[in-house]
Amino acid sequence: MTIFSLFVYIFIGVLVCVAYFHLSNFLLDFFTEKTSKKSINDSSIRVIIFIAPGFIVLLIFILYPVFETVRLSFYDKYGRDFVGISNYIWAIQNPEFKRAILNNLGWLLIVPTLSTFFGLVIANLADKLWWGTIAKSLIFMPMAISFVGAGVIWKFVYDYRGPGDQQIGFLNAIIVFLGYEPQAWLTIPLWNNLFLMAVMIWIQTGLAMVIFSAALRGVPKDMLEAARIDGANELKIFTSIIIPYLQQTILVIWTIITILVLKIFDIILALTNGMWQTDVLANLMYDWMFRGGGDSGRGSVFAIIIMIAVIPIMILNIYRHKEEQKI
Amino acid sequence: MKKTIKLILAVVTSIFVLNTSAFAGSYSGPDLSGQKVTISGPWLAPEDGYMREIASIFEKATGATVEYGGSDSFEQQIVIDIKAGSPADIAIFPQPGLAANMAAIGGLRPLSDDVKKAVMDNYAAGQSWVDLATYPDENGNDQFYAIFYKVNVKSLVWYSPDNFEDNGYEVPTTMEDLIALTEKMASDGNTPWCIGLGSGDATGWPATDWMEDIMLRTHDPSVYDMWVSNEMPFNDPRVLEAMDFFGSFALNDKYVNGGSKAVATTDFRDAPNGLFTSPAECMMHRQASFIPAFFPEGVEAGVDYDFFYFPAYSTKDLGKPVLGGGTLFAATNENQATMEFLKFLLHPEPNEWWMAKGGFLTPNKNADLSAYSSDTFRKLGEILTGATTFRFDGSDLMPGAIGAGSFWTGMVDYTNGKSAKDVADAIQASWDSIK
Amino acid sequence: MKKSFFSSIVSQIILLIFVIVWIIPTFGLLISSFRDKDLLATSGWWTSLFTTEINEIYRTAGYESQFKENNNYIIKGNIFNTKTGKKIKSFGITSKNINEFLINEEAIFKDGSKIEISETGDYIWKSQIPFENKKGKRVFITASSPPKFTLNNYKEVLLNEGVGQAFINTLAVAIPSTVIPLIICSFFAYALSWMRFFGKDLLLATVIASLVVPLQMSLIPLLSLYNDISNLFNISSKSYPGVWMAHTGFGLASTTFLLRNFIKSLPHEMIEAARVDGANHYDIFKKIILPLSIPAFASVFILQFLWVWNDLLVGLVFLDQVPSEIIITAKLRELLGSRGENWEILTTGAFVSMTVPLLIFFLLQRYFIRGLVAGSVKG
Repeated sequence: MTIFSLFVYIFIGVLVCVAYFHLSNFLLDFFTEKTSKKSINDSSIRVIIFIAPGFIVLLIFILYPVFETVRLSFYDKYGRDFVGISNYIWAIQNPEFKRAILNNLGWLLIVPTLSTFFGLVIANLADKLWWGTIAKSLIFMPMAISFVGAGVIWKFVYDYRGPGDQQIGFLNAIIVFLGYEPQAWLTIPLWNNLFLMAVMIWIQTGLAMVIFSAALRGVPKDMLEAARIDGANELKIFTSIIIPYLQQTILVIWTIITILVLKIFDIILALTNGMWQTDVLANLMYDWMFRGGGDSGRGSVFAIIIMIAVIPIMILNIYRHKEEQKI
Repeated sequence: MKKTIKLILAVVTSIFVLNTSAFAGSYSGPDLSGQKVTISGPWLAPEDGYMREIASIFEKATGATVEYGGSDSFEQQIVIDIKAGSPADIAIFPQPGLAANMAAIGGLRPLSDDVKKAVMDNYAAGQSWVDLATYPDENGNDQFYAIFYKVNVKSLVWYSPDNFEDNGYEVPTTMEDLIALTEKMASDGNTPWCIGLGSGDATGWPATDWMEDIMLRTHDPSVYDMWVSNEMPFNDPRVLEAMDFFGSFALNDKYVNGGSKAVATTDFRDAPNGLFTSPAECMMHRQASFIPAFFPEGVEAGVDYDFFYFPAYSTKDLGKPVLGGGTLFAATNENQATMEFLKFLLHPEPNEWWMAKGGFLTPNKNADLSAYSSDTFRKLGEILTGATTFRFDGSDLMPGAIGAGSFWTGMVDYTNGKSAKDVADAIQASWDSIK
Repeated sequence: MKKSFFSSIVSQIILLIFVIVWIIPTFGLLISSFRDKDLLATSGWWTSLFTTEINEIYRTAGYESQFKENNNYIIKGNIFNTKTGKKIKSFGITSKNINEFLINEEAIFKDGSKIEISETGDYIWKSQIPFENKKGKRVFITASSPPKFTLNNYKEVLLNEGVGQAFINTLAVAIPSTVIPLIICSFFAYALSWMRFFGKDLLLATVIASLVVPLQMSLIPLLSLYNDISNLFNISSKSYPGVWMAHTGFGLASTTFLLRNFIKSLPHEMIEAARVDGANHYDIFKKIILPLSIPAFASVFILQFLWVWNDLLVGLVFLDQVPSEIIITAKLRELLGSRGENWEILTTGAFVSMTVPLLIFFLLQRYFIRGLVAGSVKG
């Protein structure tokens, strides 16, 4: 791959895609020119042109694997013999499964809430200050780091050395400096989950902040000024004008992060590998799917449970969609 | 460096020409021009370079082309590739358990009887290497599938000769001496051991090696075999005894660097650093033959560090057991060049070439010991060939869900304060659930 | 006026605290990437910013370098071998007592030989009988070490053969894998927002549901599908277009979801007015939606690009691991070595691979704002 062929590749790839939409719509316009304008607008052919590529990709890359996974969850570990629901029964009786569900619930409550909250606060503060752009860039930076990189960073934050030895973990260095005993943070059950969540919050706050920051510019300026003239302080403006105005955006961001958290896996894999009672569903799925040759039946069961867990979020979003339609 | 290799090769070649053995001289194979062999494995730099050099010997001799691709998530990728139906011609498995799994789903091609016979005849303890590579196929029939190439020895304790000298310690030759030495070190105010179980998503495996070494030193090898195959349950008193023996080192805050809390959180790659700090953080480190790769830059074998054999009890008549591991080459496609390449690995030339590079041990009797890059490796090679009992890394032989799963996590729980009984019960329960 | 000044100070402080907390881990990584690799695992990164006291072990020269002077056998040299800027305070000759002697004091070994060390590391080792030891003696020093950084880690990563190529390969993967879903999903999202058709709610529900499909479980079914197709046409199952489509598939749900949320929020009066004027959906999309959606495109572009750029798994599974196809994350993993992680390559690699996403973020941030301003003027 030379730089020249890089451009050729990118050009062809993008061109094919643009050409599809342009040519198909152009042809449609060309052949329906003679008929009345009204029918063009609701032409079902145009609907097909618009949704076909997305729909086909959805079908192949998401729906097909999902159905395959559903099928495999009823088969043995090689995917050969039908075993009924025994994989599900096994999962429900598995103590790891219960623990993973509880851990996942903890993640779902804490991470989206804090990331959204921090993101909103930071976006709001940063937009008013001259060095806000710099601050935003710095807080966004963790988003640009791969999970592998983030794993190394936080390994060095949480690192533990015995009391008396020189600490190389930043957190323990502070603790020792303040005169306390160093702690093996990642091995303290229950608390260690919070330390893992901190990594995810650290990454996702940048995402929330960027989107909020764009949305905040939509808040009508005159409304803010009117409130200021009325003598409202910044906190009051934040809670009674900005938050209600951004309700939609908050819900969207909360949904996105919640879904990311349901799939959370890399951070735990890198820092504890689910040990010390930190396992979550996605880790169990990965372990059973691939470790030591894999058991596609049991791995699939966990994948399906993760997918089922999203149903409430889905219903919420569809409900919201319906509400919008009514207006 | 290149010159010395050439020289060694020349010497080796001349020895074998005189020897007129069936496998003498530099490798010459059938003409395979135009054929291609693809290999995938877990080796990355620098081993991937060595692998490609080895392949080029084959390419020159046969005219075939060989391509090697390495991946650090090989164990996951090979499962995906074999299940999806597009694996490379040869897969290099880091452990037999995974190869057995792939054989069971029909992903591997059995090797011919003459290859099997060649392994039997040319490898020290040939039968055990054949047994380790024989698995049931998808119809449940036992077949011979793989060739061991590049093995390692695990029963080693690394130390600094200077630190031993400064403190007046002697290298122990029996387990009784080792235990006494450990006590003496602690009473002198030194920390005897550095133990680190951290290894990313494989955290815990170093403790399984401890367990296996201890099992071989406290009980008959047949007990070890029963343990590995689960004919004897994991929560048998003999296993609990071994776990508590490990605990007598790892759970004693005075015996291990950083205290027992540090055992599971210290990375296995960082653990040996304690041998080389000033003042020394620990005196001894039990780890396999590959660990010098992670020692600090500039330390020299035989000068700054050395190793001794993790000794056996003098009061128990169990000989000199050795624990080891190794990588296996297995074919996923049945073509002439692939099969020829596997035969090529049994020839002395590719063995001696890598022996000269270091980090490589072979059970192949035809390979010349003088090809080893250093005395350290020659000594390792002798431990391998001088073993009265050789056993393969047990956790690699257990099913993946145990040997690369609950056994690892169980040992981590154990160092974190869970009792041996609870840990062993949990591991046995997970084993029962996959039967 | 005073009040707003006060609240501005409070805002500044709160934001500053956020920034500091957020930046410290990354800053530690940055410092670590400039440190010597052996120091990484033995001392905290913050210690390298200041002059610190260190304990180290060095070895003197062996017997070969001895010479005779006034009935004394002498070995001379500098224990550091290279200039380091370290200043020795005290030293010792056994591991049991590492700071037994001050500099320029004479230490006596068991064999009667004597050694003296200066602040800069120069030593003189004298004996009345010839030296016979092949290896030198160990000297334990306590010294103050000034901050020291090295570019070696970056040299190792950047000059490594294949990293530049992998960089280009990754661009060839990442750009189409970001632009294609953006185009496809913008039409998809438009249809889901403003077009009327049968099964729309069901389709939307499917899109939202597919947000949670774990990527790992799709790999085997998809790769076997790719293999079937490639066998049919006798082409390789692993190729750039294949990886583009895979990323499009895995990014489809989130991209559509985000774009739909944006497009849906645009004022519907505008679209209805255009339709009354006789514009068809394609015209509306081109002339109204597209210009207004630029900020949303920018944020979706950033997110998808980041995800693709930092991806390892998809690149490993859907591309051959050969120099012409290997991506940067996979290449960095290769540099780590077989048995694990060289922290220095991980830290350095993390920064090298961060450059492109950050550049995109900074470039698009301006665009982001410009798009918003333009949009509000027109609206």
